Amino acid sequence: MNWSLNKSQRDGLIGSAVLSLIILALVGAYYIWGESYQARILYATFVNLLVVVGLQVFMGNANITSFSHSAFMGIAAYVAAICVTPAAMKAISLPLAPWGLNAFELSPIVSALLALGITGVLGLLTGLFIARLTGVGVTIVSIAILVIVHSIFLHRTDIFKGNQAFFGIPKIFDLPHITILVIVAIFVARLFRESALGVQLRACADDEVGARAMGVNVYRIRLIAWVVGTLFFATAGIAYAFFLGTISARPFYFNFVFLTVAMLILGGLRSVTGAVFGTLLITIGLEIVRWLETGPTLLSIKLPQMLGLSGLLLGVVIVAVMAFLPNGIMGNSEIEEVLKRKT
Amino acid sequence: MDYVIQQVLNALSFGAEYALIALGLAIVFSIMGLVNFAHGEVIAFGGYSMIIVATLLTANPWVLMIGVLAFCVLASVVLERVAFRTVRRADLTTGLLTAFGVSIVLQNLFLLLGSPRPMAATQFIFLDQTLTLGNIRVSSLQIYETGATIIAIGLLMLFLRKTTLGVAMRAAALDFEMVRLCGIRANRVIAGAFAISGLLAGLACIFIMARRGSVAPHMGFDPVLTAFVACVIGGFGSLPGAVLGGFLLGITEVAVLVLLPQSYGGMAQAAVFTLVALILIWRPDGILSPALDKGDKI
Repeated sequence: MNWSLNKSQRDGLIGSAVLSLIILALVGAYYIWGESYQARILYATFVNLLVVVGLQVFMGNANITSFSHSAFMGIAAYVAAICVTPAAMKAISLPLAPWGLNAFELSPIVSALLALGITGVLGLLTGLFIARLTGVGVTIVSIAILVIVHSIFLHRTDIFKGNQAFFGIPKIFDLPHITILVIVAIFVARLFRESALGVQLRACADDEVGARAMGVNVYRIRLIAWVVGTLFFATAGIAYAFFLGTISARPFYFNFVFLTVAMLILGGLRSVTGAVFGTLLITIGLEIVRWLETGPTLLSIKLPQMLGLSGLLLGVVIVAVMAFLPNGIMGNSEIEEVLKRKT
Repeated sequence: MDYVIQQVLNALSFGAEYALIALGLAIVFSIMGLVNFAHGEVIAFGGYSMIIVATLLTANPWVLMIGVLAFCVLASVVLERVAFRTVRRADLTTGLLTAFGVSIVLQNLFLLLGSPRPMAATQFIFLDQTLTLGNIRVSSLQIYETGATIIAIGLLMLFLRKTTLGVAMRAAALDFEMVRLCGIRANRVIAGAFAISGLLAGLACIFIMARRGSVAPHMGFDPVLTAFVACVIGGFGSLPGAVLGGFLLGITEVAVLVLLPQSYGGMAQAAVFTLVALILIWRPDGILSPALDKGDKI
């Protein structure tokens, strides 16, 4: 194995470092000027960022749309939550749980590893089928996975509480933890993109027959990328459960899928930089719109309360990007390439 | 015996509803390769148009029905002009995402301009009465629904076989460029497909409204998701496939509800989607669709 990095991989390190600086600057700005309610917004943004960067790994490099990520995130969140919640608390929140699920508790690290492991195995099992299919077949099966997992969440109320909240999860993570996770995620995703696997995967996306002719094992690399992607979603799910204290099935369905997919395609799904910028832009846009939604007073004019405005914005962004900017803001380029071109 | 007949009718009417919506999806897909997820919002729009017409004009149910059909056709054609024309040449995924985007926009417009809560619109409920035939009690709505679907499929078949536009639409599914070279306007063919899709949505809307008696922003999403599954099972873009898939799904859903114990009722959707995933893995192009004939019509 040759461990020295080639040029694009060294560039990748620089690019990831620049993106990490942006993330750190955001966190720094919060600690200096921010108010405490903004910690929640920032944390949610970073959870979304983990998901979107994970989406980029499979969806961006393979150029195949998949919608099942919130299902994997939900599975990891529930596994982590069920393992880490103290048994005394679970006796109240999950009184009917079968198999002694409410009679044990594990340390946060073991819970997180278990959640990663279970989600990873499920990712592998689904990936065995997903990697065989092409194009829109993947999209349809991923929708099927999403619907199946959601029905199970809703049906087994004794384990998952369905649409009610599963509460009592201790708060383990805070802003510093997720900041580190996000930075690690950016580096991993970028290095994956520039690794031999990533290059091969992007080659299949551009010309599958050509890539096969060059000896690329399309099935194998799609499977690897799919599993790596699910691990990102699992991390996001764990981070979500470890911060909020309560989870329910509702957030892990189509709305969240559309939100994250919109973030990815706005930034441009072929680059990690695009994933990061798309997430930040949509989050900022949505925060402004949410404030308008509540009917604020602007220039001494009282605006009416407008529910649904944020959803409207999201839909318009998706339609407009698809129509006028199919490659997103960043297209195929990463941040260090843009910076070099400028100087 | 009457229990069996009752369940068969249930399966047929469920199937008819799915087949109607699936046909609306398939006809657009066969011509321009677009999975039109905004179809459900056209159905919901039909429901809102009922309220508008009933308050402004008249609450006569027969006029309302014509109004619903007209508004659905209009909505469908306008959507094509405004949103889908720009992505006509794009790949499947772009189209799919655009359709999801349009669907989100419309749902939130209904939310913003209408109400987040269901709004009552009960003018069609009279269609749903309990009939007693001999010693079997059936719902009249189920009979109307099955009958109307069969008639609609027959008329659609006639249209596609006997009229120039219909023949052009069948040809466009196979080779759009050739149709254009023969001097048929591309815009007209595609607008025609969307108009038919809107008409089918309007028909589905009437029956859905007769059953629900109220309209809500998200009411179109689940039926279209199921109809989409029906299309996948039958082979996307194949019209007979869409009908077959719709009825198969209706039968599966009723079978799951009848055969599994009551407490597993919530798992019907999971069962259906598992079926889809397995079919796709077994035959990636759907049951009725050997890869070459994809898009072939009735």
